[in-house]
Amino acid sequence: MKIVIAGGGSVGRHLAGQLAGASHTVTIVDNNRSVVEKRAAQSSSPNVVWLVGDACDVKALRKSGTNEADVFIAVTGDDEDNLVSALLAKQEFGIPRVIARVNNPRNEWLFNDMWGVDVSVSTPHLLASLVEEAVTVGSVVRLLSLERGRANLVEVTLAAGSPAAGRRIADLGLPRESLIVAVLRDGRVMQPSPDTILAVGDEALVIAAAEDTDHLMLKAALIGDQA
Amino acid sequence: MKLFNRNATPAALVVPVDLPPAVSIAELKPRSLAHIRGTVVRIRTIPRTGLPSLAATIEDETGRVVAIWSGRRAIGGVTLGRHIDLHGIAVEGRHELEFHNPEYTLR
Repeated sequence: MKIVIAGGGSVGRHLAGQLAGASHTVTIVDNNRSVVEKRAAQSSSPNVVWLVGDACDVKALRKSGTNEADVFIAVTGDDEDNLVSALLAKQEFGIPRVIARVNNPRNEWLFNDMWGVDVSVSTPHLLASLVEEAVTVGSVVRLLSLERGRANLVEVTLAAGSPAAGRRIADLGLPRESLIVAVLRDGRVMQPSPDTILAVGDEALVIAAAEDTDHLMLKAALIGDQA
Repeated sequence: MKLFNRNATPAALVVPVDLPPAVSIAELKPRSLAHIRGTVVRIRTIPRTGLPSLAATIEDETGRVVAIWSGRRAIGGVTLGRHIDLHGIAVEGRHELEFHNPEYTLR
């Protein structure tokens, strides 16, 4: 795939390395000439091209091949720049998949399809969910948002007294639009079947619709009244 | 084809690009800059991330496209039966090709 990255900082460079390693063609646009020249000289991969340009400028984006790109990734350290370049990528070039980095979590509400953003990635948010996942038992922790927020991957660790402990998955009364995709027990991954019997301490990974009603039903089925 | 005579139009009203000739909707290719001409046959206000957007279905003899303008419920002049020109990038939508916040000219 052809990928354009706006922002040649550590995030952009790391991404470019990974994507080029997976044989994608990557173009990095950064408006700092000295950075671009230095990195271009260091770069060894033929799949990564560095360009000097302002990613908030339609002409610079056109020069970087954005009109043919399959994916656009805005990872500058500036939320305004990320939003503007995401909007241009979507609106002026019709890029099917636009990903933008949220630097300040207070700006996260802006990173949606109004601004051309298909997927937003927020480091503080990711860190918070991972820490929450590591320390909580007996509540629903959202790990990842899928389908532009219409579905979530959530994690529940069954606490003592969970109504799900000792019961078959088929009998839990899970909401229709949710699915237990994996159960982690004693450090092992189990593929759940309708007959799998859950136990206290199990970590259930669930793909669930983001609706409030689904969330409540999921909580009732896996956690009960104690939460 | 010149749609605007730059000498006769106040500067603020001049469209900054020379529009290419209009193509029929059936000829539209996704992700290329195009100019189409048609009639508004349907107008809806659709929710998009909690904010209203205006979605107008534009039809010519060969097919339909949807034009979506973000953040507004109505645009003066964009009414049922109106002849309209759209200029922008067509992208694959759910059913038809879509224009997102295209430039438009009422005719």
